[in-house]
Amino acid sequence: MALSDWNIVMRSMRSRWFSTVLTILTVAIASGLMTLLISMRSAGEDAFKRGTGNVQILISKEPGPLASVLNSMFYAEAPGGPILYSQFEELVSSYPFAWTVPTQLGDSYQGSPVMGTTGAFFESFQPAADLVWTLSDGVYFDSPFEIVVGAEAAKVHNLHLGDSITLEHGTARTMGGHDHGEFGFTVVGILNPTATAHDRALFTSLESSWVLHAHDRREAQLGHGVHTSIDDVSDDDRKITGIYASIGERKAALMQVLGALRADPNWTVANPASTVGGLFKIVSNIDQVLLAMAIAVMFSSGISILVALYNTMEQRRRQIAVLRVLGASKMRVFNLVLTESAIIGLLGGFVGIAIALAAGTVVSGILQARVGIVVNPSLPVDGYLMIVLATLALSCVAGIIPAVVAYRTAVVRSLRPIG
Amino acid sequence: MPKHKPTWLWAATFGVEAWPDEIHFDPVRLRSRHAMKTANHHPAIEIDSLSFQYPGTACPVIEIDRLAIRADEQVVLTGQSGSGKSTLLHLIAGLMDPTAGSIQINGICINGLRGSKRDRFRGHHVGMVFQTFQLLHGFSVIENILAALMFSDLPKGQHRERALGLLEMLGINTPNARIEELSVGQQQRVAVARALACSPTVVLADEPTAALDPEFANTAMDLLQEACRSVGSALVCVTHDRSLVERFDRHERLEDLVSLGSVS
Repeated sequence: MALSDWNIVMRSMRSRWFSTVLTILTVAIASGLMTLLISMRSAGEDAFKRGTGNVQILISKEPGPLASVLNSMFYAEAPGGPILYSQFEELVSSYPFAWTVPTQLGDSYQGSPVMGTTGAFFESFQPAADLVWTLSDGVYFDSPFEIVVGAEAAKVHNLHLGDSITLEHGTARTMGGHDHGEFGFTVVGILNPTATAHDRALFTSLESSWVLHAHDRREAQLGHGVHTSIDDVSDDDRKITGIYASIGERKAALMQVLGALRADPNWTVANPASTVGGLFKIVSNIDQVLLAMAIAVMFSSGISILVALYNTMEQRRRQIAVLRVLGASKMRVFNLVLTESAIIGLLGGFVGIAIALAAGTVVSGILQARVGIVVNPSLPVDGYLMIVLATLALSCVAGIIPAVVAYRTAVVRSLRPIG
Repeated sequence: MPKHKPTWLWAATFGVEAWPDEIHFDPVRLRSRHAMKTANHHPAIEIDSLSFQYPGTACPVIEIDRLAIRADEQVVLTGQSGSGKSTLLHLIAGLMDPTAGSIQINGICINGLRGSKRDRFRGHHVGMVFQTFQLLHGFSVIENILAALMFSDLPKGQHRERALGLLEMLGINTPNARIEELSVGQQQRVAVARALACSPTVVLADEPTAALDPEFANTAMDLLQEACRSVGSALVCVTHDRSLVERFDRHERLEDLVSLGSVS
C-alpha cells in the first residue's frame, strides 16, 4: 500500500498524541458547551410550551401564575390552596368555557405524582399541540380505584395492567406523607408517551382521591381502623387543586374571560403559554451571557489549536524540509498542516456533541426529577451539522498561521546538520 | 560489491545483520523506468554560465562556466569548507535559485521551472543523500521509502513492491522497524534506498560518509556507488574526504570550477 498525505497527517498527530488529545478535548469542551447550551435552551422552552398543551386558562389558588403552572402542569410540588368542587361547578357555569378539566394533586405513588381528574382530562385536554391521548394498553379509568399510568411512570415502576398499587398521601418532596395502604388501586391502562411531564404521572378519578382524603378526616374523627367508602365523602372532601380550561378558538372571548377572572382576587389565573414565555424572557439574559461565554470558549479553543500546531512547527521544520526535498510542493505541506488542524476541529466537534448529548441526558434527568419537565436536549440533524461545520471552519482558520509557517519553511536552512 | 566483511565493530555499529554478504541488484527491474527517462541521451546534469550570490554580498559564491555530467557518470566534488559544495548541490536540486545561468537535468532547466512543477521534477529526477541522512523519524523504514514514492509517477499499487525491492537490495530486512531503532549504518542504507526510490536521473550525496567512522566510509561508498550504478543514476558526491576521491570516475575540484567566495 502506498503512503498518502492522510498517513503523514495521522503519523504526525500520533507522534504528538498527548498534545493532540488535549487540543481535541479543548475543542470538544467548547463545542460541547455550545451544543448543550443551544439544545437545552430550545429543548427547555419547547418542553415547557409542549407541556402546557391546549390549556388556555389555568385556574388555581396558588400564590402566583408561575407556581400555578409549574405545580399543576409540571408536577413540581403539590399545589396548595384547595378549591371546593362546588366552586368549580359555579365557575364553569359562569364563563363560556369550551371545556374544563378539574385536577386534584397531592398524592403520589413511590414518588410519582398521582392526579385525580375526570374523563375530560383524556377527552378534551391535549398534552401537546395536535396530540391526543392514546393508550398503549388497557382502557381509561371508569370506576373508583382504577388508575391509568403515564408511559414514563409505567417504565420506572415496572407497572403492568392488572397490577394493584397503593398510594401515599403527599408527593415525593412533601414531608410527613403517609401510606393509604387500605385502598388498592388497579392499573387499567398504560398511556403512550407524550414527551411531557404528564408521562411520569398516574391518573385516577376525582372520587378515588376524595375517598382517600375523606378517610383521613374520618380517621382523625373516629379513630384508626375506620372503613371509608365513596358514600362517606362529604362536600368538604370534594376538593380540587386546579382547573384546566379553554375558550376554544375565540381569542377575544379568551381575553375577556382572563380579564374577568384576574379581577377576582379569589383566583390565581394563568395563561400557561404566556407564563412559560415570560419565564424564558426572564432567563434569556442569562442565556445570552452563557451563549457569549460559549462562543468565547470556542474562540479560545481555536487559539489553542493555533498555539498547539504553531509550537510543533519548530520540531517539524526538518520533516517538512525533507518532504519538500522528496518532491512535496509548498501548497502540499500547507495542506498537510491545514488538514491536521481540520481533523482536530472535526474530532473536537464530534466528541463535543457526544459530550453534550451525554451531559444533556444527565441534565434532562435532573430537570425531570426536580422540576417535572421532560426535556429532550437534542437539535435537528442540521443543527449538529452546523456546530460541526462551525468547529471545522474555526479550526481551519486557526490552522492557517501554522500552515503558512510550513509553506514558508526554508528548506536548505532547515536541513543543515545540527551543531 | 562490499569490500569489507562484517567485523564485531561493524556489527556493533551497523547491527548484526547490517551488511549482507552480497548485494543482489536487479538492474533490469530497477533500471526500466530510468531507461525511459534517459532515452533522449541528454547529459544527466548540464550547467551553463552558473552564478550564485547571496543577497547583500559583494561577490558570487559560485561561478561555473560549464559542467556536464553523463547519465552513467559518478563524480566527486571536493573543496575547502565553505567553498560552496553544498550550495551547488542545493542549486542542482532546485532548492535554491541561481543568480544567473542554467542547470539542466536530463535536458530540462530545473531553475526555469516554478513552484510545484519544480518540486515534482525534483521528486522524479533528483535523489538526495545527506550527511545526517534526514530520515523521517516516527516513521518506519518502509514508510521512509514510500514517502519518496508518494511524489513519483510510479502507480501507487507498485509502491510497496518497489520499496521492499530496494530494501532487500540494500540488505534491510526489517521494513517495519522504526528509524530510531536502526543503527547508523542501517539508517544510511535506508537513506540511499530513499534517494533511489524514484529511479532518479541523478543522486546528489552531501558528505554521505561524514557521520561514519573512516573505517566504514569506504564500505558505505561501495553501497552508494553500486546502488546508483544498478539503478542507472548519475552520482554527484560532495566530500572533503580526499581518501574517497580515487574511487570515482571523475574528480572535480570546486576551486577549479568556481570563483572563491565565502559561504555562510
